[in-house]
Amino acid sequence: MSDPRPGQHFEIPAEGAPDHRRDRTPAFTRLDPVPGRHFPLESTSRPLAPEAAETPAESALDRALAHPRKRRWGLLGVLGGSLTLGAVQAVEGVREAWLGGDWLSGAWSVVGFTAVGMAGMALGRELVRLRHLRRHVRLREAVEDDTVSDGHGNALELCERLRSQMGLDRDDPHWQAFVSARQAHHDNRETRLLFAHHVLAPRDAKARALITRMSGETAVMVAVSPLTLVDMALMAWRNLRLVDRLAAIYGLELGYSSRLALFRAVLANMAFAGASEVVSEAGMDLLSMNLAERLSTRTAQGLSSGLLTARLGVRAMRMLRPMPFARDEAPRIADLRRQLWQQLKRVDAQGRQE
Amino acid sequence: MALTLPRELNDWLERGLDRQLRLAVTGLSQAGKTAFLTSLVNQLRHAGMDAQLALLPCAREGRLLGARRVNQPDLSIPRFPYDEALAALGSTPPQWPAPTRGISELRLSIRYRSRTGTSRLFGEQRTLTLDLIDYPGEWLLDLPLLAQSYPEWCERMERLMTERRRRYSTAFLDAVAGLDPAATADEQQLAELTEHYGRALHSARHEGGYTFVQPGRFLLPGELAGAPVLQFFPLPGVTGERAAELDRLPADSVYQTLAQRFEHYKRTVVRPFYRDHFRRFDRQIILVDVLSALNAGPDVFDDLRQALATLMQSFDYGRRSLLSRLFNPRIDRLALAATKADHVTPEQHPALLSLIEALLAEPIRDLRYLDIPVRPFSLASVRATEFREVEHDGQRQPALRGTTLTGEEVLMFPGEVPASLPDADFWRRQGFTFRGFRPQALPDDGALPHIRLDAVLDWLLGDRLQ
Repeated sequence: MSDPRPGQHFEIPAEGAPDHRRDRTPAFTRLDPVPGRHFPLESTSRPLAPEAAETPAESALDRALAHPRKRRWGLLGVLGGSLTLGAVQAVEGVREAWLGGDWLSGAWSVVGFTAVGMAGMALGRELVRLRHLRRHVRLREAVEDDTVSDGHGNALELCERLRSQMGLDRDDPHWQAFVSARQAHHDNRETRLLFAHHVLAPRDAKARALITRMSGETAVMVAVSPLTLVDMALMAWRNLRLVDRLAAIYGLELGYSSRLALFRAVLANMAFAGASEVVSEAGMDLLSMNLAERLSTRTAQGLSSGLLTARLGVRAMRMLRPMPFARDEAPRIADLRRQLWQQLKRVDAQGRQE
Repeated sequence: MALTLPRELNDWLERGLDRQLRLAVTGLSQAGKTAFLTSLVNQLRHAGMDAQLALLPCAREGRLLGARRVNQPDLSIPRFPYDEALAALGSTPPQWPAPTRGISELRLSIRYRSRTGTSRLFGEQRTLTLDLIDYPGEWLLDLPLLAQSYPEWCERMERLMTERRRRYSTAFLDAVAGLDPAATADEQQLAELTEHYGRALHSARHEGGYTFVQPGRFLLPGELAGAPVLQFFPLPGVTGERAAELDRLPADSVYQTLAQRFEHYKRTVVRPFYRDHFRRFDRQIILVDVLSALNAGPDVFDDLRQALATLMQSFDYGRRSLLSRLFNPRIDRLALAATKADHVTPEQHPALLSLIEALLAEPIRDLRYLDIPVRPFSLASVRATEFREVEHDGQRQPALRGTTLTGEEVLMFPGEVPASLPDADFWRRQGFTFRGFRPQALPDDGALPHIRLDAVLDWLLGDRLQ
């Protein structure tokens, strides 16, 4: 057991000593403001821009709180191993066929080799896309952390990273509009605001239109489909497609596994964060259901599945948007519901006429 | 009267519909009121075309159509000299607009497209009328006099006399020391002492940089120059018991004469000024030149703090309702602006904000109690410098490029702004020397460059431009 540390004395700099402008004693002494200084006019200067990009250090707390990294080494090993062995065997087969003059088996080997190659490429692409998705999620977390800061500095650099993540060129008109609106004196909050307005808002509008359209289509399809099994397949297909397209709007290309991963995340998010939403919107949903009772059962089913698609779309949009929504710009189901309702009523009326 | 009645009814209707706002642009002298008003008119005039108003959502979304100066309500008051101010900024070399010497009014009609489509009744384009007034900042500090009696005022003035400030008033203090308050008033003697007092105020304001200077008309008398109403001054040593004793003196004594003139000044000069221009505000912006106060030292800084705290007691703050809007308008939203933000480098702006919050801590507490939204801003109504980055001794450093008031072109780092007022020890060692800059040449398109004027406009008017 160690003793408590004894008191310690520090030397106080003499009054009027030249070098105590920056006091290096304890951390709580205040530093004096740095005095002004002049530069020769001909010294090199350039327009003020923030420092070059630096990846923010991940804190230990974040690492501890994050999901444990699950790398499926076994699966990857088996897949990679069989691909390698398959390739080796195919090459071997070609060589043997060449030597033995057995052209047919040689041709089969070539076909097999091509198949193995294609499978390898697909696997590689999947891995790359998964990595993209992971990077997207990480960047989004960084942005979310950053929204608390009002200071001056790193927001432009963050926007630059977002731009490259979204796959926009430097001469993209939206990005150009953002760059010309942004000035050196804008602080982080203002920079984020401008980025959201110039770069994200056009994409948000597109995403919203897409959700409306696709949920309407889903509703109509389910309403007219004859079989429950077909309904289920329809729902699965349409919803996956919706998430896929939303991701494309925000510049994220999805592969098979990344799509599934994202879809799973969206569903988990819906189940997890959905509770409060359900409470606030249950009233409206019930109301629409009451209205739906007056319609045929099929139409009611269509309406509910359309609403589900819409909710899923909105959730996916919230997760895919590289910057969290400001308080009043987040899309709400209520806006979509009316359009959906109109669409279905038309279908129902037509159905009854026939 | 017959002519003004329909106009007043119309104003009343507009207020009821909440399409009229009166903005109080409050600032002591040299705080940048005229520059702010000029830039505000200029930006709104150029809105939607070449003005940089990215932080004003209405303009960003392309809904702001522009603004026009229209006839002001009170035709007996001069119009705000916008064209003259713009001409000064556009001259070669560019100059700041001349200091304001009298009251002027301005009514702007702002046209915008409404975001909500529900306004079929009023059409899609809507108009917001914005009333503004400009006045000499010196007169503003007369408003707190309304709540004071003569002995209270004397006591207050005596408390303001710090050691440094006393230097500017030695002549007056020496002369007034020989005056017996009980003696019969001598016109000639009072006029001489007033002369001394006026000179003391002048040098305290212009040499010492002090802002708490009362009465304001002594600095800028306007049409009252030489009138007996301006012949009074605070007597030293008028404290509690002494005041009661002096109160019993005959009416022709020095003390009673001064007290009468003080009351007369309040009644005939200050009260009409307050009644005609300073009630009935909806929004307020307080412009504070923090940097000049820092330059002048802790004494002046403290003086500014007191002046602003006293000043803000003259305004009515409170939440709005339809009734209060019609009959008793109150300020329901406030912006605190540290002006001349272009005179420091942008990474100093957060420090500037916390400094102005520290400066106005006391009034902010009262406003919080009343639940009035307040936000500090770092503002440059007309931007005079350009932000650069300098490579010096292997280190990169933000810097300013501009032309000083003397016409010398400089590239400099003006120094850090403290986030709170430094202690006395620091002042002895270092102090501040923020330089003044003259405006940049007027751009070709005529829209004045600015810093964060759009954000200020959003805070003050944004909710009315939906």
